[in-house]
Amino acid sequence: MPRTANGIEVEGTVVECLRNATFRVELTNGHKVLAHISGKIRKNYIKIVLEDRVLVELSPYDLNRGRIIFRYRN
Amino acid sequence: MNPLPHKASLGAVTISRVADNQWHAIENDLVVGRGHASRRLDGRTFLSIDTWRDAVFDRLAAAMLTDADQSTPQYTVVDETDHDLTTNWERAGLTTWRRESEFAVPTDLTPTAAPNGVVITTAQEAPLRELDQAIRAEVESSVGWQTMPAEVLPWQGGTRPLDPSKYTVAVRDDRYVGLVRVATMTRRPRIGLVAVLADEQRQGIARALLSQVLANLHRSGFEAATAEIDETNTAALALFEGLGARRTGGILELISRPGKA
Repeated sequence: MPRTANGIEVEGTVVECLRNATFRVELTNGHKVLAHISGKIRKNYIKIVLEDRVLVELSPYDLNRGRIIFRYRN
Repeated sequence: MNPLPHKASLGAVTISRVADNQWHAIENDLVVGRGHASRRLDGRTFLSIDTWRDAVFDRLAAAMLTDADQSTPQYTVVDETDHDLTTNWERAGLTTWRRESEFAVPTDLTPTAAPNGVVITTAQEAPLRELDQAIRAEVESSVGWQTMPAEVLPWQGGTRPLDPSKYTVAVRDDRYVGLVRVATMTRRPRIGLVAVLADEQRQGIARALLSQVLANLHRSGFEAATAEIDETNTAALALFEGLGARRTGGILELISRPGKA
């Protein structure tokens, strides 16, 4: 069974919507990362807007980048 | 945790189909990319790929498109501003076939009266289901059907789920003639569907329906709602722009037609 190369999953809040479908997300530890939307979220037409609470999977290659893999409802 | 090197030559990437609708890209015993296919209720299959590397994206896309049913097109969705992802899919042979605009619709509008003889009210399930079926039958016979947004709720016992509490309807002579569906699950309510029977269109029923729905949202404390409109749906675009809706973005639907990539 292959090991996963997923990054760490961290909760955060969208604090800025940027160009190129990316967002600045402030994590619960105060660190800010650039994140884009995961394919599964995009495919289900889930929209991310300012102040959304989200779950971010950090990139294993660059801890300043991430992928939004879940949007909390409130 | 130490970040992995970005462009390291860690070894050959192999693609494995780990389930009927899932693919993994594996390198040195690590999953470095994932592909997923979802079949929607309208029969269309949508693909998505998550990886941090373009080369892995290309390998996954090629495998997924090769494994796909060669008799039907495959689709994907990208944000119109996401040029990198759009380029990745275009490299795999997909082309844009549909564009949808996203709008923010203000809720503090001057109310619009319903046409004479039409009452705007809450919905009851039986007549709502009848209207829903009638509208779907009308739309299915036109080009509009393929541009309808995906239904994401699974059918229950052979019946399409229909929650009357999400609907506001227009009624003429005890007959439902139009509807608006609004979802308020998130901080910004979403107008999911606006529809009026063909023989009742062009009388201001949709505008009156939306006016009432938006006024109700305003009273509930919402300053704006969202809506998505296909760029070829000029009637809907005119309706929402007439209500002061502001375009906030858009999505592209890309298609891979087997044999034409």
